[in-house]
Order: sequence, then C-alpha cells, then structure tokens
Amino acid sequence: MDDRALRQALHQAGYIADDALATTLWLAGELQRPLLLEGDAGVGKTALATALARCQQRRLVRLQCHEGLDLAQAAYEWNYGRQLLAIRAGEAGAAPLAEAQLFGRDYLLERPLLQALTSEQPCVLLIDEIDRADEAFEAYLLELLSDWQITVPELGTLRARHVPAVVLTSNGTRELSDALRRRCLYHWLDYPTPAREMAIVQATLPEAHTALVEQAVAFVQRLRHEDLAKVPGVAETLDWVRALHRLGQAAVPDDAALLDLTLGCLLKTRDDRFQLTPERVRQLREGRRSVGVADKQGQ
Amino acid sequence: MAEAAAAADPLAAIAGFAQLLRAHGLAVGVAEQAAMVQAALALPPQRHAALNAAWRAIACQRRRDWRQWPDLFARYWQPQRQRGSTRVSGQTRPSRDLRQLVQQMHAQMNAAAGQRPGSAPGAADAALDAATPAADDPGLAQAQGGASRSDPLHDRSLAQWLPQDLAQLQRLAERIADQLRRRLTRRWAADAQARRRLDLRRTLRRSLATGGEPIAPCWQQPRRQRPRLFVLVDVSRSMSVHAQLFLRIARAFVGAAQARVFVFHTRLAEVTPLLQRDSGTVQEKVNAVAAGFGGGTRIASSLRDFTDVHARSQLGRGARVWVLSDGYDADPPAELAPALQRITARGARITWFHPGPQQPVSSAMTDAAPLVHRFVRLNTLRDLADAAPLLR
Repeated sequence: MDDRALRQALHQAGYIADDALATTLWLAGELQRPLLLEGDAGVGKTALATALARCQQRRLVRLQCHEGLDLAQAAYEWNYGRQLLAIRAGEAGAAPLAEAQLFGRDYLLERPLLQALTSEQPCVLLIDEIDRADEAFEAYLLELLSDWQITVPELGTLRARHVPAVVLTSNGTRELSDALRRRCLYHWLDYPTPAREMAIVQATLPEAHTALVEQAVAFVQRLRHEDLAKVPGVAETLDWVRALHRLGQAAVPDDAALLDLTLGCLLKTRDDRFQLTPERVRQLREGRRSVGVADKQGQ
Repeated sequence: MAEAAAAADPLAAIAGFAQLLRAHGLAVGVAEQAAMVQAALALPPQRHAALNAAWRAIACQRRRDWRQWPDLFARYWQPQRQRGSTRVSGQTRPSRDLRQLVQQMHAQMNAAAGQRPGSAPGAADAALDAATPAADDPGLAQAQGGASRSDPLHDRSLAQWLPQDLAQLQRLAERIADQLRRRLTRRWAADAQARRRLDLRRTLRRSLATGGEPIAPCWQQPRRQRPRLFVLVDVSRSMSVHAQLFLRIARAFVGAAQARVFVFHTRLAEVTPLLQRDSGTVQEKVNAVAAGFGGGTRIASSLRDFTDVHARSQLGRGARVWVLSDGYDADPPAELAPALQRITARGARITWFHPGPQQPVSSAMTDAAPLVHRFVRLNTLRDLADAAPLLR
C-alpha cells in the first residue's frame, strides 16, 4: 500500500489526512519506525491511531500514559494470586511445583506493551500522551521501540512476532528526551485548514446542513486567531456543530443568546468565556477581525 | 564543480542537505541520513514530491525544527524559487533536481542489485558510506558522531532575540533547574540511615495482591525535593531596557522549574499565570499588570509584600529568591536590609541579578549586601551560562 492508497484508506475509515501526514505514516510503516505525533489538544492525534487500526483492520492496543505509570501497568506483571494458589495446591498434596514453572508464561499477566509484541496478528500500538509518563518510563520504552523486544528477567527476552505500528502522541506538557525523539519519525499536527476541517466535519456529521458546517468552521477558524487560553481543536468544532444540529439549526444562529448557550462547546476556560464578549462573538460571526468605525461610534 | 557533483552524485547532494540541516540546529546524524536515503529508495521515482514530507518526518524532532523546515528545504532544493537572493553574472545556480536524484538513486540501486543479486537492501548502507562527509569537511567539526545542536553562545545583548536564542535559553534554564540542590524533606537519625525502614502502609497495601502475604516488602525512601524558586523582576523605568529580557528568563524558569514570577515597581504583582501561557502577547499583558504603578521603585516595600502576603506559606527552608534589579530604591535606604532579612530569616537564599557590570552600589544595597548570597551580572545569555554552575 503506497501513501496515496493509505490516505484513501484513512479517508474511508473516517480520518481526513493531508498528503504529508499520509506520507509520514506510510514511511513509518516502511522503515518500521514509531511515529511521534505532537500538536495541541484536539487536533486528532489519537484519532489517527484509531483510524489507522481501522483501515488496516488491525487490533488497536492502547496505553494511556499518566504520572507514576510503571512497568507493572505498562508491560507485564506476575500473577501473584495464581502463583500463590499453585504453591498452596502443591503443598496440599499434588505434585510440588518447580520454581521455573511458577515463572512461566502461564503466570505472566500481559499489559499493553507486551500484548502488542506478542500479538498473533500485526497490531497498532498507541502510546497516548507519553509526555505525562515519567522520564524513567520513557527510558524503558527505548528498548522496545528500537529492538522490538521486552526483557523479563525471570523469563528472558521476548521478541515481537510482528513489528507493531507504533504511534506516540504528546501534548508537549514536558520536553521528551532526545533519545526517544531520535528513534521516532516526527510529525507536528497543526490545526486543519478550513477546507480540510470542513471535510472532517462533513465526514463525521454527514447529516448536518452544509451552510451550518461552512459557517461554523469559518467561525472556529477565526476564533483560533483570538488570544485564548485553550484554542478549540477539531473535536470542539465537531461538538459545536453537533450541538447546533441537535438544536435544529441550519446555520450558525444570529441569535446572540442561543449562540452564547452553545459556546461552552468551544470555550473551555472561564477567562476565555469572559474575554469573548457577545459583541466580539458577533464580530467573529460576521467575519470581522476588529471593531468597526460604526461600532465605535455606537459605544 | 560542486553543482556538477551534486547532479552526478545524489548521495553527495543528500549529504550536503544534511549538512545544511545540521548547521541550522537539526539533529541529523548518520542514522537519519541513512533513513533519508532509504526513504528516497522506497518512494517510486514519480512520487519524488512526497520526499519533502518524508524527510521532514525523519529530520525534524521538535516543533522548532518543524517550523524552519520549509525554508531550509526550499533553500537547498529549490534555490531558483528563492526570492531576494543575489545573482552574480556568469555564475550558475546549483541545479538540484529531486526527480533526477530519485531516478539516479533507483538506477544505482538497480545496477548494484544486477551485479550482486539479493544485495539490494545493503545498497543504502553502502551508499551511505559515500554520503558520510569527509573528515576535512568543515561541517564535521560541529557534527562529530552524528549531530550536534549546541551552537556557540551568543554574546549578543538579550535585547536582540532570535528563536535559537530562546531555545538555548530554555535548555539553559532546564539545566540550571536540574542542578538546584534537592533537599531532604526529613532527616533521619544517623544510625537509622544505615538500616532500611519498612513502609508498613504500602507493604500491607501491596500484600493484598498476594492474598495478604507480604511477599514484596516496601521500604521507606528518603525523599528529596527541589527547592521552590521565586523570581522577582524589577520593571521600573530605570530597568525598562532590561525588564523584557529578564521576563524572558523568568518565563524560561516558569517552564523548567515551576518558578513563581513577580514583577515589581512601586507595587508587587504576580505574573506566573501569564507566563505559563504560550501567547504572543505576554509582554503586553505584563505591561498591563504593571501599568499605573507610578514612578519610582520601591524595592523594600515590594519585598515586604512578597514575604508577608504572596509567598507567606511557601517561603521556607531552602527556597531560592532571585531578584532581577539594578538596586535603585525609592524607599528609605535603611528599609531594604530588614526586608531582605525577613526573607533570609525564613531560610531562603537570595541571589541578586544586576544588568550593570558592577554590583549595585546604592547606599541601601551596600547595607543589604551581606544578606544577599550572591550577586550575578546578567546582561547576555553568556552571563547566565557562566553563572549556571553557581546557581545551586
């Protein structure tokens, strides 16, 4: 599958990727390198991994990173309860267990990273928000991402049956190490262009009116130029269009009160709500960047 | 002729491109160069346009690289499209054609595969040897062993900032934040340190997984914490030239060390939330906060306000207070020393950064000098880099 075919497949899976992103994704598969996606929240980093899994009909193994994430939650853990039961059963009369048996694959609980490596079929491994995990965990990933293996001291080294397609996402809350970055292909996912955003909304919400989609996307695109604490992403646009559609609107309403009610879908902090006065919203709605002369005279 | 070589040898052209990237701070080493060659070979010749995106994914590692890529790519591969470049008569522009390059590489690979059947995958490696710059290559000095992103520190005054300066400042701030001496939160008796202490609570909690048998005991670890960092920036008239620079430095530490930043003038105000946001209008917002403070600088009363109100609960043992000011105080000279005394009495350590070559000599400062742990000159990035080992 070349990059154009991949783009087409992603499109069919409901993800509108641009040429550069499709090429990068294809290259990641070709070179068997993980792909590090950075970008603001809500631009579709996680959605790309799910769409990739869907279009290639692979299983998606997801590891959600958080502070304090350790090996037991990410890679593997011994099933202590079962080991204990086996020991007790051995003591009670059945043939006693050798220690080597106790640390066999039967007693190993596979967590996402190991699942991805030992999967019978090729899969997509999504390591979400890697910047939230600790640096120690990042260092642990290096072995996995370069050699596609995990070392379990009691068992030995487990190698990947199929190299999984790995997608790492980061919101940039913490600077990632150079070692990790160098092992990955990199793509900065920016806010989409108006045309692409329209295509995304239409693909996701085909029932919404074209005029509504057009105006809503234009509004959000202008809104992104405002100095906001949390710039609305594609997810917010989708929420907003969905909300307006549910309210039976065929276009972005002129009614300031109604508009204000639904703006919670786009503006997620108190400061931003405060900053976007009804007057400013009206200007954005009409496509004006600054206060006009008539407005100034009226004030 | 370099141009002729570029047209004849695609690998040399890629090596030249990698050299340009390295010169602009991208970490493009041997591995990245090999991946670039692989990508060019993996793409069919008619899809040469996709090489831009493919190489971008390989060579860029952070957003800064990502932003400067289009310019660097165009400069090297499409010099004819560059506007504003001068052209000397009789000199031809370097002709680098991506389509040609990809075609040549495919031809070379096919030829190699024809000579040695089954050796196609090794072609990229073999090709790379040729692509590795020669030892006398001037670009190698700063890119030994792959890549380097440390460019010389600029002596340029901090008033003239470039994006690479900002990136360098950020790295410097992270380094300094890293070396701030971590303190034990609690000291154990000397003999107790030799023995391990059982963490009963965590051991019991963990034993739940093993049916109540504490198979894996947990031990208490002495905890070390990074000291709290407070940065106080003087934004008075006399400091107007330097305040912007100091704020940038303060901002770098907000990101790197979770510092709290205050600006003062005749009054004190906290600006940490403003600096945490990545907004182009930080300066205007800080100005808006500091506006209307009136003339003069009241360092002593600002410091009192800082100790008693803003940092009352956090100014403890081991805290670091960095004051960025020229030391000209409109308060009575006798007040500054007691104000600093109140800070040091809480166990905090004061470092005074001054923009001038000499440490401040106003009478207030002369009295207060013994209370300041260290005076540091700060006018360029190099000053900060030089002082970095001292800031512990």
